[in-house]
Formats: sequence, structure tokens, C-alpha cells
Amino acid sequence: MPRMQSFPDLIKSIWQRLGSMSLAIVLLVVLSIASVIGTVLLQNQAQADYLQQFGPLWYWVFRSLGLFDMYHTWWFMGMLAFLMVSLASCLWRNVPKMLKEMRQRKATIPEKALKRFQYLHRWQASEDAAALQQRLQARLPGWEFRTVEQDGVHYLRADKGRWNKWGYILVHSAILVILVGGWIGANYGFRGTMAVPEGSMENEISFSEGTETGNLTMPFYVRCNSFFIDFFPTGAPKEFRSNLTIIDHGKEVLTKDIIVNEPLYYKGVRIYQASFGDGGSEITFKLYHLDGSGKITEATTHVYDGWKDPKSGLDIRVTDFKPYNVENMADPGKPTDFKDLGPAVEYELRYPGFKPVKIKAFMNPFTDPEGHNQGSFIMLSFTGDKADYKPIPLGLDLTNPVEWKLFHAFMHHLSDANQGKKKQDKAQARAANLAAFRAAMVEVFGADRQKWPADFQQMAMRTLQAVNVLSGLPWPMLPMLGDFKQHYYTGLQLAKDPGMNVVWFGSAMLVIGLCIMFYMPHRKLWLIVRESEGGSDVALAGMVTRNPLVFSKFFNDLFTQFKNDDAPQSS
Amino acid sequence: MTTMTNSNVSSTLYRGRWVWMRFNAYLGAALGIAAMAIYGANGYEENAFLYQILSMKGVLWGGSGALTGCAFAAVASAIKPNLLDAKMARNITPWLDGFILMVILAAIWARFEPAQEAISYDDQSNLFAGRVIMAMNVTFIFSAVAYIAYLFAPETFIGRVATATAYIGVYLGGSALLLRWHESYLFDMNIGHAPVSNLYEVFILLFCITAAVYLALEKRYQAKAMGAFVMTLVSAGVFFGIWLDSVGQGEIKPLVPALQSYWMKIHVPMNFVGYGSFAVACGAGMAYLVRHRLEAKGSNSKMLAIFPTLEQLDLLAYKAVAIGFPAFTLATILGAAWAAEAWGGYWSWDPKETWALIVWLVYGAYLHARVSHGWHGKALAWWAVAGFLVTVFCFLGVNMYLSGLHSYGRLS
Ligand code: HEM
Repeated sequence: MPRMQSFPDLIKSIWQRLGSMSLAIVLLVVLSIASVIGTVLLQNQAQADYLQQFGPLWYWVFRSLGLFDMYHTWWFMGMLAFLMVSLASCLWRNVPKMLKEMRQRKATIPEKALKRFQYLHRWQASEDAAALQQRLQARLPGWEFRTVEQDGVHYLRADKGRWNKWGYILVHSAILVILVGGWIGANYGFRGTMAVPEGSMENEISFSEGTETGNLTMPFYVRCNSFFIDFFPTGAPKEFRSNLTIIDHGKEVLTKDIIVNEPLYYKGVRIYQASFGDGGSEITFKLYHLDGSGKITEATTHVYDGWKDPKSGLDIRVTDFKPYNVENMADPGKPTDFKDLGPAVEYELRYPGFKPVKIKAFMNPFTDPEGHNQGSFIMLSFTGDKADYKPIPLGLDLTNPVEWKLFHAFMHHLSDANQGKKKQDKAQARAANLAAFRAAMVEVFGADRQKWPADFQQMAMRTLQAVNVLSGLPWPMLPMLGDFKQHYYTGLQLAKDPGMNVVWFGSAMLVIGLCIMFYMPHRKLWLIVRESEGGSDVALAGMVTRNPLVFSKFFNDLFTQFKNDDAPQSS
Repeated sequence: MTTMTNSNVSSTLYRGRWVWMRFNAYLGAALGIAAMAIYGANGYEENAFLYQILSMKGVLWGGSGALTGCAFAAVASAIKPNLLDAKMARNITPWLDGFILMVILAAIWARFEPAQEAISYDDQSNLFAGRVIMAMNVTFIFSAVAYIAYLFAPETFIGRVATATAYIGVYLGGSALLLRWHESYLFDMNIGHAPVSNLYEVFILLFCITAAVYLALEKRYQAKAMGAFVMTLVSAGVFFGIWLDSVGQGEIKPLVPALQSYWMKIHVPMNFVGYGSFAVACGAGMAYLVRHRLEAKGSNSKMLAIFPTLEQLDLLAYKAVAIGFPAFTLATILGAAWAAEAWGGYWSWDPKETWALIVWLVYGAYLHARVSHGWHGKALAWWAVAGFLVTVFCFLGVNMYLSGLHSYGRLS
């Protein structure tokens, strides 16, 4: 059994252990392993997603360990605090020793200690101590020297990089400084987002607080005057720009553009361009009635709002609007070919008795690379998931009212022609279609063929296609994008971090300290001369904290040259 | 150290006044360009920075910087003559000279570009940088083969060929990247950006830095046998790069707004100095393990004669980490500074950041393990190898796996 320690001794020994190198290694490894968890497990997601992903049991285990917001848990913070204590302890232990060692440079070395030097050469020289010392000093520009004479022995000590231990001190205190800076930021700073629609203003930010959402009111308002997106020729976004005005106590104090990487600074708060989205654009739907009446009505609403048809119960919820929709139109494996498909609105469509669907309806018809009008189209997703969108060509170019008219005329003639006939073979059906289409053309454009549009054959194809598609749709009407007045919102990130400069200061200490530590090794040399009758007994001894490979070469070269300089005289 | 280079014939360029002046001129020119970016009127345009540097304005700012540097160097060395022996100038100047050579090479390659009408964003296969990169790929693979051959047939000639091809590979890769920077402007001035924006480009950067760090160590410590390991790592990377290119990742694409920042130009290369050095440390660790094994088996293979000793290999690994660790630290700090400017917080625990921290902690622990007792060569060699695996995950795995989950796996 170990002997009982007195309490102060116990504390002392714990304190000593805290500063030990082995603990440092363990701490660094444990911290890095712990950090891995938070990168594998997505942090700060919706709780429902976690529940679904892990099942109730693991969800609760993970949740009670705080793994969904791991870097802010008490145990992770505790580890960082422990690191700080450990650093403080090792600094406490080592700094006084190091400072003392850096200040006093012992020049004398007892003969016994000299024998243990790894770098040591002894030889006989003809010169006296003063001459030897002078010659060595001349060989070592930039070194510091001290000479001492003791018991008839002349000692010369040379130092280079004497302040190397400052590297250690800087590096280890830098970690403390950085962690303190982080702590200040976490406790006295904030960081959150606000979404400001064009033309509106806002003074509240929201942020996630573990599993909750927190809010904070700023001492000023931010107004978004306008928001722009600029695109590359490839259609990828090039720049997001918000024109903001700060309103403090009712007064407009500052108006400025911000872009990503160029924030705005006001009253200690930085305002960043973080995201953007639709700020409630005004959407006018054209409702194409599918009951054969050929009616087109209009309904106006906003993004995030909706419209309901009182008669049929058809219900539209508008979820998003985009003025540009750049898509790669190339076949897989072919060089990319980006094309803007124009404005589109996304909405959820509900109709009693049918599954709700998600639709992205484009304003313009699709023109293929050869320039042919392929008619209007929508994207349809039965799951509500964007990944499941399937393009549905509608056949008709709905922006052209004449085609809509033609389609209905065709339908009428076709059903007239089909009346009474039971069975048709393919050829008969085609003939009937052709006849019905001719009749429809005559009805819409008149009998004079010269006045028919040039691409009427394509129109025929599209009309035939539309018969299949449009009559297959289950809803009483098809809402297409008619018109829009666009409003963006700009997504801003507001942050204040009073600890940030502390962190930068610590970072500078860290980098400077590392450079001193690694690139300014402390090299020590001793020239020990014992003068005797025929000349001198000389010893050259060396010591280095780092990079012995280079030092040993340096040391041997120095010795050879230093000795050789002497050789001609001694012979 | 003064005494070390006497035997070197070409050393006049790298001694005394010459190197000291040149070092300060380079430094002055770099500071001049930085000053232009910060203080010059329209001194920094994201879309045209390369041509700003090459324009009259850039030449003026950079040139005045270089002259100021020379003047400073002359005055300083007159006051303190032993500055002429400054180790830093002597160690860093060759790298800067090499960079100038790369610029010249890139300028030569630029003459072989197809005519403007033949250049199209949609089909980038006729651009010349692609060919230079292919040459680099071949050269690096050849170099790796030569280094391996050298292990089994330690002829001086084979060793020379191995080293020479490694050098050629570095220059080809570096100049190809510079050329790519120029090419990115050929499609459209708006698209142009520094060639450190996607995985393919930084991979080339990584090969060059890894090989360059290795070559610097080889030159200083005569550690040729290590090359077989380092260059094999590089070659593995080369094959990955070829694959990336074959799936269309090698194309020049415009920069997303978040990356349009001068921080990218310093943060990314600095990071890869860290990664490259860690790759070299890994090579040294592998060489250590191989030699350890040979020795344990009592082998008297010819290889042992050219291998550095275990102690040397241990120190080489350490030396590489000593280059990489401060660089990686600085790079992480620069990344934090960029994040602070772009996103409003210097640290958000996103997977990339966190993995950078993990890498940093792993090598920090390595450094402590070296100083502390109880950890010896073999364990540390394993640590150097494992540390590089963590590094690879940090710059590849996170992009492919973790942030992949982040950006595509979630549906809204
Ligand atoms: C994140 C935290 C830390 C970093 C980045 C760090 C960094 C370093 C570095 C780079 C070295 C130089 C290693 C070498 O000589 O090659 C070092 C040495 C050392 N570290 Fe740390 N360290 C950290 C934490 C700690 C902790 C927590 C302790 C003590 C418990 C500690 C104690 C020491 C000691 C005693 C040395 C040796 C100094 C010498 O005599 O040269 N370090 N540290």
C-alpha cells in the first residue's frame, strides 16, 4: 500500500502530473478522437431527422450525451478546460527554469561533464588561449560569447539561438490565449442570421442553441433596399450583392453594398452576406381549365402564400420562385451545355381525392437546340422531393393562345368524328386525326392555307401529344406561371465577437513561437584551453537542442577548419 | 553553415551579397504586389488579378518593391555585415528562384496555346496546360520507378536520373498550374481565377510541393533512398489525378462567390505546404519501417548501404514535420481569418475545420511523443505514417465523404 500523503503533498503531486508530457500526449490524442465524432455525426440537424435515423433508443443515448451539438457539451468543454489547466501547470513548472537557463550562461564545464558530450574534439595547438579564442570568434559571426578563466583554464562559451526556449513559452501560452479568446467570444459575443425581404427591415437575429432556436434583438435595424445576383456565362452564380441601410434610433446612418467576403461593420457587429431566397414574390397564375371549356382564368398570390379554388377545392401553395433556371441540357457524357430555362414557380397542388404533388411550372416553352418550339412543360414530383422531379412536356405552347384554341377545336372535331364509331384500326385512327386537325385548322386560321402558320406540321404533332398529356391530368385546371413581380430576401449573418482579437493575438504568438522553436535551435559551443609549455591542450565541445544532423556536420566542419587554420603555424 | 557550401561549384549565386540582395528583392516585390492589392486604386480585382500583376501597374508596384528591397538589403548589410551570411536568405532564395523559372516556363508554354477562336469553355481538351500536366504525370511516375530501381541497383547514374526527373516534374507541374491560371482567363475574363480552386488543381500543387520538400531534404541530408517511398506516394496521387481528369473534374470552372477572395490564394497553398511535408514525413516513416524490418531479419542486402540509418530517417521524418507543422498551423489560422471575413466566425466546427484540427493535434502529439521518453523510433515511424493517413482523410475524405453528405445528401 502506498504511504499516506499529506493533503498539500497530494495536491502538489497532482499539479505536477498535470503538467507532464505523457498527459499532454494523451490529452491531444483524446481531443482529436473526440473531435472525429462530431464530424461523422452531422451536428445541429432537426431532431426529427435524428430520431428517424437512429431509432428511439440510440436517439436518446446520443441526445443525452449531447452528441448532436457535441462541441458545446459540458464534457467537450471540460476537456478543453483540462487542456488549459494542464498547459498552465507545465508553463508554471518550466518557465522559471527556462528563464533562468536562458539568462545565465555557465561558461565553465567540469572535466567529468565534458566527457559525456556527444560533440567533442580534443587536440594540441601551438597558439595561446587568447589567439585561439579570437580565431574562433572570427569564425562564428552572429554568435554570443562569454569568456571565463578558472584555475588556469580558459573557457569560451558561444551561443546561438539563446532565446529558443521563448519558442516553447510562446507556443504554449498561445494555446491558452486562443482558448481564452474563444471563451470570451462564446460568452460575450453572438452570431445569428436574419432574413430581410427587399424593401423591409429587421432587427432580430435567430440562432441555434443546442437543440433550440434562440433570438436576439439588435440595437439597430437593417433594411434591405435591393438584392442582385450576377451570373457567369455558364449560369453559375458569380456574385450576391445586397444594398443595405442601417437604421439606428429611427435615423438612417449608413448605406452600403455587401457581397460575400466583404461584410459591413457597424457598432461592433459584422453583417455578412450569407444566403438569399425568395422574399415573397408576387405570382400571377394562368389557370388553364381542363374541362374542355377552353377557359383561361388568372389568380394572383405570393410565394409562401397560396390560392384556393372555392368551386373545385383545388389548392395551390407556392413554395418558391426563381427567375433563372440554368440546367445542363447535354446528354450524359457529352460536354456540358448550360441553358437558362427562364422563370419558374414551384408549388404544391392539392385536390380532393388525389395525392398532393409538387410542381415546378415554367413560364416559357422549351426550345430545343435546333430552335424548334417543343411546347410548354412542367416538372412533377409525386413524393414532394425535388430529386424525384420528372419533366412532363405538355405539347402545346401555352403562351400562345392560338394553340390553346386550336387544341380545343381539334378535340371537338375528333370527338364529333369518333361518335358512333366503335372500333378503328391504326390507319383509320390516323386518318381521323388528320381530318380532325384539318378541320380545327380551318376553324382557327380559316380555309386559306396561305394564312396558316409556317410550322403548322409541328403544331399538329404537339397538339396530338397534348391530347394524351392534358387529358391524362386529374385536376380541373393546370396552373402555369403567367406573370411575376420578383422580391428577394437577403440572408444575413450578424456576428459580434469581442474575443476575436485575442484569438488573432494568440495565433500570432503561436506561429512566431513555432518558428523560434523549430528554426532557431539553441546551439552551444565551448572552447576549453589549458595552456602548457609547448602550446595548448584544446577541447571543442558542442550541444544543440534540435536537428543534430545539421549540427554534427557543422561541428565537424568547424573543427576541421579551425584546426587546419592552425596547422601551417604549428608545423 | 558558412563552411558547408565551399565544395559547391554553383554556390557563388547562393552566397553572400548575391543571395542576400536577391532574397530582399523578391521579398520586396512580393510586398509591393501585396501593397498594390491592399492600397492600390482598384488594386485587387478578383477576376483579373493575374493580369494586374503582369500589367504596367503591377510591374511598377512590384518593381518599386524590389528596388526598395535591394536598397534595404544594401543598407542593412552595410550596418551589420554578418547579415550577408543570413541562413534564411540562403535557404529560401533557391525556392524563389525556382518560382521565377516556373513563371518563365509558363510564359513559354503560353506560346503554344491554340488560337483564341479555337478555345471554348465547353471543350477544354485543346488547352496546352493539359499536355504539360500529362508530361508531369509521366515524369513523376518515371521518377518513382527510377528511385525504386535505385534501391535495388544503387548506381549513381540511376540515382541522378531519379533526382533529375523529380526536379523536372516539379517544374512541369508548377508551370502548368501557372499556365492554367492564364488559361482560365482565355474563355472569359469573368471566369479567371488562381489555379487552387478545385481538387484537381490542388492535387497537382500537392505533388509539386511534396516532391520539392523531399528534394530539399535529399539535397541537404543525402537521403536518396527515401525518394522511393515519397515518389511512390506522389505517383499514387498522379493516378488519382488522372482519374479525376477522366471524370471531368479537371476542367476549369468559375469560382463560387465564397471562394472569390485573396485569402484563397494564400490559405490553400500554405495548407499544401503542410500536407506535402506530412507526405514526406510519411515516406521517411515508411523507409524507417522497411529498414527496421531488414535489420531485424539480419539481412545484408545491398540496399542497407544506401539507406540512411534509422536515426537519420527518424530525424528526417521529424524535419519534415518541423516544416509542415508551422506551415499547417499558419494555414489553419489563415483559414480561420478567411472564415471570419466570409462567414462571420473564425471557427464553426464544420467538418473540414475540425479535421484540420485533428491533423494538427495528431502531429502535435507526435512532436511531444518525440521529446518525451518512452517513445522510440519504430512507434514514431508508425505515427508518421498514420498521421499522413489522417491527413489524407482531411483533404480527400472530408471532401468526398463528409461534406458530400453535407451538400448532396440532404434534401429540402
Ligand atoms: C495544443 C497544445 C500544444 C501544442 C500545439 C504544443 C506544441 C508543442 C511543440 C510544437 C513542442 C516542440 C516539440 C519539439 O521539441 O519538437 C512542444 C514541446 C513541449 N510541450 Fe507542448 N504543446 C501543446 C500542449 C502541451 C501541453 C498540454 C503540455 C504539458 C502538459 C506540453 C508540454 C510540452 C513540453 C514539456 C515540451 C518540451 C519543451 C522542451 O523542452 O523543448 N505541451 N509543445
